[in-house]
Amino acid sequence: MTKWMNKSISSLHDLLVKGKVTASELVEDCIQAIGKDRCNSFEATCFDKAREEAKKITSVKEEEYLKGIPFLAKDNFSTRGVETTGSSKILEGYVPLYDATAVSRLKRAGMILVAKTTMDELAMGGTGTTGHKGVTTNPYDKTRIVGGSSCGSAAAVSQGIAPLALGSDTGDSVRKPASYSQTVGYKATWGRISRFGLFPFATSLDAVGFFTRNVKDAAYVLSALAGHDTMDMSSSYRKKERYQNYVLEHRTLKRVGYFKSVLEAMKDETIKEAYLDLLHSLSEKGYEVIQYDYPEALLDALYPTYMILSCAESTSNNANLDGIRFGPKAKGECKTYEEYMTRARTDGFSDMIKRRFVIGGFSLLSANQSEMFNRAQRARRLIVDEMNKFFDSIDYLVLPASYDKPKKIGELSTAWSTKPDFLDNILTIGNFGGYPSLTLPLGVEDGLPFGISITGRIFEDGYVLSMGNEIESIVKRKDIIAKEVK
Amino acid sequence: MIKVTKEIIDECAKNLMFELAPGQRELILEDFSTVMAQIDFLKSIPGVDEAEPMTFPYREHQKILREDKPVRPLPSKEAIKNSPTRLGNQVKLPKVVGNKNDQVDE
Amino acid sequence: MEFEPVIGVEIHVELKTKSKIFSQAPCTFGEEPNSQTVLFDWAFPGTLPIVNKEAVSYAIKICTALHMRIDHTLYFDRKNYFYPDLPKGYQITQQFRPIGTKGEIVLTIGGKERRIGVEQAHLEEDTAKQIHLNDISLLNFNRCGTPLLEIVSLPDMRSGEEAMKYVEAIREIVTYLGVSDGKMENGSMRCDINISLRPKGETAFGTKCECKNLNTIQNIKAAVDYEIKRQSEILNAGGKVEQETRRYDESQKKTVLMRKKTNAIDYKYFREPNIVPIDLDEDFIYDAVHSMNKLPDAYRKELAKKGLDEYQIEELLKDQDFVLFFEGCLDLAVKNPTTLWNLLMVDVLGYLNKEEKKLKDLPFSKEQLVELSDLLSQGKINSRQGKEILLSMMTEGKDPLQLVEEKGLEQISDQDEVEKVVSQCLAQNAQSISDWKRGKDRALGYLVGQAMKISKGKINPALAKEKILEKIGECGSEKDK
Repeated sequence: MTKWMNKSISSLHDLLVKGKVTASELVEDCIQAIGKDRCNSFEATCFDKAREEAKKITSVKEEEYLKGIPFLAKDNFSTRGVETTGSSKILEGYVPLYDATAVSRLKRAGMILVAKTTMDELAMGGTGTTGHKGVTTNPYDKTRIVGGSSCGSAAAVSQGIAPLALGSDTGDSVRKPASYSQTVGYKATWGRISRFGLFPFATSLDAVGFFTRNVKDAAYVLSALAGHDTMDMSSSYRKKERYQNYVLEHRTLKRVGYFKSVLEAMKDETIKEAYLDLLHSLSEKGYEVIQYDYPEALLDALYPTYMILSCAESTSNNANLDGIRFGPKAKGECKTYEEYMTRARTDGFSDMIKRRFVIGGFSLLSANQSEMFNRAQRARRLIVDEMNKFFDSIDYLVLPASYDKPKKIGELSTAWSTKPDFLDNILTIGNFGGYPSLTLPLGVEDGLPFGISITGRIFEDGYVLSMGNEIESIVKRKDIIAKEVK
Repeated sequence: MIKVTKEIIDECAKNLMFELAPGQRELILEDFSTVMAQIDFLKSIPGVDEAEPMTFPYREHQKILREDKPVRPLPSKEAIKNSPTRLGNQVKLPKVVGNKNDQVDE
Repeated sequence: MEFEPVIGVEIHVELKTKSKIFSQAPCTFGEEPNSQTVLFDWAFPGTLPIVNKEAVSYAIKICTALHMRIDHTLYFDRKNYFYPDLPKGYQITQQFRPIGTKGEIVLTIGGKERRIGVEQAHLEEDTAKQIHLNDISLLNFNRCGTPLLEIVSLPDMRSGEEAMKYVEAIREIVTYLGVSDGKMENGSMRCDINISLRPKGETAFGTKCECKNLNTIQNIKAAVDYEIKRQSEILNAGGKVEQETRRYDESQKKTVLMRKKTNAIDYKYFREPNIVPIDLDEDFIYDAVHSMNKLPDAYRKELAKKGLDEYQIEELLKDQDFVLFFEGCLDLAVKNPTTLWNLLMVDVLGYLNKEEKKLKDLPFSKEQLVELSDLLSQGKINSRQGKEILLSMMTEGKDPLQLVEEKGLEQISDQDEVEKVVSQCLAQNAQSISDWKRGKDRALGYLVGQAMKISKGKINPALAKEKILEKIGECGSEKDK
């Protein structure tokens, strides 16, 4: 559907260096593609600014890998001069005064921001259906979800609207939609990419992530994003690396692990077969494939632990949204500040958000905290300790990123899951331990994609990406543009 | 632990400064019965109550603090421009009366 | 029944760093509303706290001065509540791991030592300022994020005087350390006092009232004394003290009810996840501790050893600049500290007050003041001459030795010189000598005056008097003749 935007970052880079295309042409192509979006992927756009920036780029050097290439950002990245709402009514009309560090670093590398993408309201959801602009659909099947919360970014990259979109990942908000959209979704080690300017959902789990259509592109993007930021105390002082070198030099570690209980619990035969095939191929390539007996109780603990921690942290993280300093004015005459704040927040948050806030707030009350919030924090410790034990002898955890077809839009529930399936929540392990984690395409079932996830030790982002590249070469699914089947 | 009732739910919502739409309390009450069952499940995991609560995904040695050097502040016009309720360069609110939160009156 | 008051004090000390505790906005006061802020102070989504090193260093100094244990790992927590002056909807504080714990302060009250325990000290951020008009309130975020150290005492105090002395001691410490202005009247130091009564001998605590709005040190004593009286009247009448927050009303000289303590807010404290634990470097702590200014109590001990009395010491301590100046002079081995004290605290201070000048405006050096002091204490000049010289030093910045020479003021104290002048004087005044011998004691003064005249005012009058007496014997020795 598009001339340029369906290409990868590396191809576009080559074309730019050779002068076969200009940044302005790429931006125009991206703008056109946005116009043809069929999934409801977009919030605000900044076409004029993008055109202006593109005009300034007259040549691209070999080492300027990302320069002149358009990108998109999830609507929870603060963007100077461009409305940023977190897909929530409570922030409608808010025009930030500053760029998030992730955005400014990409801009510094010469990339051009063209638009903001939809998300679940305030990133609190995994379906891509709860934003103020409604449902974002799966590019392969408009009756199904693309997953969330980074729904717009996944759908846009998958459709070939841009070769890169920023997302954020608190539970699996980049990696799950990547699985459903046949894209590469990356979540860096917690603290590897500055969170400055990322609207917080659950701080201790939030990580900047992004979507590309191949692993090498992801490695280049990470190199531009990584590194300490004085504006984020939790960003690591560890030296940033040239992550593409891991990929280019095929530097991988050798021990690949999987969970026995996951294999046993898998029901979808197509996904299971593809997964086993992959493990087999890895073994044939000389990797040591190791079965690990991760305690099932801890897998069952993932959902409640995640829900309680994230709901609790989010009540506090979103307490600044009160219609006083930014956001829409509370409606009607308010006689007291309480009334003003209450009106603004009552009208601004959806019912789903309020329900989660009530539960999160309740779990933090001093009378409940040790039983609820602290218990979840303790369970998190067990989950992470056990995972670190895994990493004592195994280098990668390789698991399917999704275990079923993406859900039909009509079949969704916003209720607290009564019988959570640990398979649906397994990617949260990456957030609990802050591990680098990657999803890339694995296969397609009835025209609907599913992905494979690779998780590594903290700060071994390079090795995870390189393993992704290895699997990509086995699976041979890269640079895919979604074709609508339904 | 506090027993979850509709009143408690209302109070939680009030403390978080919003009102619940009709029917929401009931849904939250249902959610809570699941949540509490899951809490009981977490409680049943061996070793959970002996584990140290975890806030940060990992612990790294971090010793660097920010130098005490002020930067140029935001121009007040710029800072205030997103506020929907302002008077000149200040944020305007209905008169704040009482001292709900132990703040000293000035 | 006789009651024992139980008093605990919470003090918020505003630390005078250049930038805010969690943001890089300047801590400048009295500027245009909302002109001293950065993004974080407005809690714009996505902004993050970054801890100011100096605020931590100041806290370490205060904690050290209060003999507290310093936590070598810094943690912060969130105190969650909604209020217009709190933009994030939570305050970053140190609920679970305060930077300082288990300290004490020793007060001297009526000559006796009283140890008051300091439970903890924690860092936190100040809130925005609200201005209440007729029907609206205005928010100014300039103050928002100013670093505060909250110092919490144990309920160890038993009287209004003790509470007042405690606050005064803390105020002295923070101002001497140079980490806070410590001014209660402008809010750079704020006190909340908890007061309860219990029957004498009882160990359980009674119901307490919290008292706020104490904006002078004197008000602390007044408020506590009033509360003790109010609560004992209630208890003696068989009533119950209600837990409430009260405010000291200066015009009525009493505490008045602000609000009843019902349903205390649940602050849902939890660890601030944006600030990873900070391991304080040994070097950093060492530097903070070893760059501490000398504290008032250390000065008290030292100055007492130098022979100053309590009054003199306390007068000096009222202004750190004067103590530092005085200490500098002591280091120059001034011969008589009391003479120096008189010069500095009577003459110099009087002059400065009159001229509305500061110590640093004086044109002379410590060395020069020491020279003057030594000239006086060694009797080389008299006090009248001393004052004359000091005035020239203060107004013209001249050197005292040079002035003595210029004005020819140096006294004749040399024995031979004195002998010579006295001999000449006695030879010229035979009449006065015989008057003296006949019992006219006024003659002595006259003779000294004459010696002064002969020496053009330079003779040391005490020595001259001594020498004259030596020569003329007792008064009235020839009375009968």
